[in-house]
Amino acid sequence: MKRGMTPLHLRSAAASRAALIDYGKFFLLAGLAVWLLTLGTRGMGYNWQWYRVPRFLFTTEGGVWAAGPLLQGLWVTLEISLLSLLCTLILGLTAALFRLSDSFTARALARGYLELIRNTPLLIQIFFVYFVISPVLDIGAFASAVLALSLFEGAYAAEILRAGIVSLQRGQWEAAHCLGLGLFDTYRDVILPQAVRRVLPPLAGQGISLIKDSSLVSTIAIYDLTMQGQKIVSETFLAFEIWFTVAAIYLVMTFGLSFAVRALEHRMNGFPIRGAGGIA
Amino acid sequence: MSADERIIEAREIAKTFPGGVVALDRFTLAVRRGEVVVIIIGPSGSGKSTFLRCLNGLEEIDGGSIVIDGIPLDHHRKNRLLIRQEVGMVFQSFNLFPHMTVRENIDLAQIRVRKKTRTDAAETTMSLLAKVGITEKADRYPHELSGGQQQRVAIARALAMSPKVMLFDEATSALDPEMIGEVLDVMRTLAAEGMTMVVVTHEMGFAREAGDRIVFMENGRIVEEGETERFFAAPREERTHAFLGQIL
Repeated sequence: MKRGMTPLHLRSAAASRAALIDYGKFFLLAGLAVWLLTLGTRGMGYNWQWYRVPRFLFTTEGGVWAAGPLLQGLWVTLEISLLSLLCTLILGLTAALFRLSDSFTARALARGYLELIRNTPLLIQIFFVYFVISPVLDIGAFASAVLALSLFEGAYAAEILRAGIVSLQRGQWEAAHCLGLGLFDTYRDVILPQAVRRVLPPLAGQGISLIKDSSLVSTIAIYDLTMQGQKIVSETFLAFEIWFTVAAIYLVMTFGLSFAVRALEHRMNGFPIRGAGGIA
Repeated sequence: MSADERIIEAREIAKTFPGGVVALDRFTLAVRRGEVVVIIIGPSGSGKSTFLRCLNGLEEIDGGSIVIDGIPLDHHRKNRLLIRQEVGMVFQSFNLFPHMTVRENIDLAQIRVRKKTRTDAAETTMSLLAKVGITEKADRYPHELSGGQQQRVAIARALAMSPKVMLFDEATSALDPEMIGEVLDVMRTLAAEGMTMVVVTHEMGFAREAGDRIVFMENGRIVEEGETERFFAAPREERTHAFLGQIL
């Protein structure tokens, strides 16, 4: 029977039954995952010592609250991520505009940057910035980390932004042209607000990648979350407890970012993504 | 027609699209200040709105010359910008900015290009909205408006720049029949107020009523042009005769 022909009361009953089955599947899968995990850890005879973890997060000795190494590392990771995110957006936007520019030089420059960055491993870029570029610029490990991460993620952000910009109808450019708006005003008032709105989901994904990729800066002696985890594990051999805790903290950060972006998307819902402004 | 009477002077314009389609073939047209020129197009439709788009630099011409209000449309950035600011255009597909309200759409160029204060701009915007008859929609977004209303906002937006010339590129072709009238009414009012207008349209009624001069165009060339009354009453060319016979 066609869906549209099902009587309304039957359809709602069928719909709630389908939802129930769906929930059932979810719990079945979750149960399976937990069962596999227990089986695996029991098989390797690991001695779980979760009770030793909290003091690496924070201590309350003598009634004074103090951040443990993991929270200190979290703070460093947050600092690096936020600064890099800001630089990523600026760099990404610049590279995107260069790629769309009329000038051959600008286009070639952007193209070279994108290809170089996207076709080499981030770890090597971090080493390169830290060991080769930072002595020249006379910057420390922290600035090197931010620079390397921004250069890397900026290349991806540039392509995302460019995709958003070229996805707009030509009529938007033409209308701005006919109103006598300059290039800067056209981008600021007409093109970018619409383009960014369209690419917010993939842009958020890039931000999440950035937070996770920031763990690589531990290789240049920065005491971020990952580095702190590594240090504790080598001192205590609590490998699984600490790494799981570290992973959970990353999860909270990336979830937080996703949530913030979704809220932003919601707020920008004043106009539909597609189909507005006349016929397509 | 003396030189300073002419606000648009297009001489021998040539335009060929990459596919080899000849859109304009040594096309020459001069428009007087305050004149309403209606361009109607033969069934083949080539050269459609290309002429209008060349007039404000949306399309590059391959040959010939264009002078608008004494300013040559050449490769000087300053001249091109000046022409863009003095020539308003209304599109078939409206092209309103979907992320801005009606008011913001109309305010934008006044503030950014004409450097008006927000208060001054708001005043002009409201009087223009009154002129096109949709003051009550000032704070709505374009997608909340009907096609006819969107096109009237687009006209108000172009007028906000106080242009010396208005170009209408098939402004009613994308509209449902019952909305064509409201847009044509606004265009008639503008014509009556003495605005210089170049209108590409299929609306013969409007052409007859509001046009001072009709240009009949086919395959990138002018087949015939003339004062409106003469054009419709006694077309000289065989081709015009046949075309008018078909549609009237």
